[in-house]
Amino acid sequence: MTLGELQALLHGRITGAVAGREDELREQVVPSPPLDSLERVEIYARMYLYRLVDAVAEDVPHTSRVLGHDAFVHLVRDYLLDHPSRSPDIGQVGRSFGGWLRTGEGFRADLPDLAMLERARSEVRTALDAPVAGAEVLQGLPAEALPAARFVFCPSLRVLRLQHDVRSLWDALEADAGEVPVPMPGPTTLAVWRQELKVFHTGLSEPEARALTVAREGGTLEEVCATFAGEPDPVHAAFKTVLSWFADGWVAAVTSQRA
Amino acid sequence: MVPFLGHGIGLRTKHFPDLLEQGRRADWFEVITENFLNIGGRPRAVLEAVRADRPVVLHGVSLSIGSVDPLDAEYLRDVRALADAVEPAWVSDHLCWGTFGGHHAHDLLPMPFNEESLAHVVSRLSEVQERLGRRMVLENVSSYLTYAASTISEWDFLAEVARRADCLILLDVNNVYVSATNHGFDARTYLRAIPQDRVAQIHLAGHQDLGTHLLDTHDAPVPDPVWALYRDAVRRFGRVSTLVEWDDHIPPLDEVLAQAEKARTFEQAVLEEAS
Repeated sequence: MTLGELQALLHGRITGAVAGREDELREQVVPSPPLDSLERVEIYARMYLYRLVDAVAEDVPHTSRVLGHDAFVHLVRDYLLDHPSRSPDIGQVGRSFGGWLRTGEGFRADLPDLAMLERARSEVRTALDAPVAGAEVLQGLPAEALPAARFVFCPSLRVLRLQHDVRSLWDALEADAGEVPVPMPGPTTLAVWRQELKVFHTGLSEPEARALTVAREGGTLEEVCATFAGEPDPVHAAFKTVLSWFADGWVAAVTSQRA
Repeated sequence: MVPFLGHGIGLRTKHFPDLLEQGRRADWFEVITENFLNIGGRPRAVLEAVRADRPVVLHGVSLSIGSVDPLDAEYLRDVRALADAVEPAWVSDHLCWGTFGGHHAHDLLPMPFNEESLAHVVSRLSEVQERLGRRMVLENVSSYLTYAASTISEWDFLAEVARRADCLILLDVNNVYVSATNHGFDARTYLRAIPQDRVAQIHLAGHQDLGTHLLDTHDAPVPDPVWALYRDAVRRFGRVSTLVEWDDHIPPLDEVLAQAEKARTFEQAVLEEAS
């Protein structure tokens, strides 16, 4: 057996991706009392599962607590078969867990959203640092350049589109408050960001979410303002929303290139 | 010439407040490389604060030098960028494999010790050292199995890798002890086979006795038999930068620092004995 064949055999068994092949394992791994060949390989298989369970749990501590230990381990084992780790950083292994949970059943329907919020907070905590721009950079632009101004957002800003508003659930779990609320289903947009070293999240109204989407996709200030058309006081609403982005430290820079 | 850094500890999240807000320090710190690639926030701030007044070493866990997968060029670029920014005393990783088909097992899986593996590891190590622009320091791992395909002892394999690739060795004394117990070899034979001029660093850690085997858990104080082997290592290799690893059930900083101080005391006693 070549080195590559041996690694394929071991890796498949340890990660659970390939079942069987016991005879080949017995041939390749030396039995030595008190453990036989398969028991020796099993040590690595157990470490694999529990190391990655711990890594996912670190991302989504509240989700894992609500699910309970056994159910969480079971889910992570299935998740890893669909999403084996492709990153050298073990901290990335849980990045698709919340989205993957959405495809499952047999647990609370709000848990995928809770997991997505927790994962986003985890990503934001260590996202790359960036300088933060104040509203004065926008105010400093010549009036004729304002409509074409575009926003560059900090790498730590995340926007989540969820099916439940899980903020009160997260608050209760974070405070270890005992009673765990059950959020009503309904589309919710949350922004998650970091200011200095602290992580925050907040809900966005539908117009705010629309405006932020346009701005993050490279839209101009004029296009951002246009998303408020139809609101009772569109100019005021647009002004207030854009200023809040600066106040919360979401904006890294403003660029303006007139056509 | 490898600098002597003293007696250090691993940089761990649990101790960030002590390090960042209270300015507590060990002689030097070892950083898990992958935890600091392309990140900012608190971990980066702590790393920069610590690096401002103490030496730092980058210790990787995902190089997978023995894997048949192609070397991960993006990963190596990221490690180099971090090393260029942090200017570590050295960069280390493990003599093992952990990836297959682009999937990471996030474990330090043992190599079969034979000529095929030796040539494979040496060739990749040379490429890694070239891409990183520095000499690597390679650590022996603890293991729970041996392969029928092995034809060389682990200690001869490690020494030969270091000689052929001209790399240095991070001698994990706890790993030597764990593997020696699990496979029934003499730990002191292992130490005697390691070339004295190649050892850049020593690791110490705790493990668990599961009855059927020892498990390298890094979740407890260094046990007496490992301290005894450390004293043997100091007798053989002299003064070598030493680090206490504690990765699980991490106690308060004072307790980890006390382990580093204990290593210093043992080292001094052995060196005084010898002089």
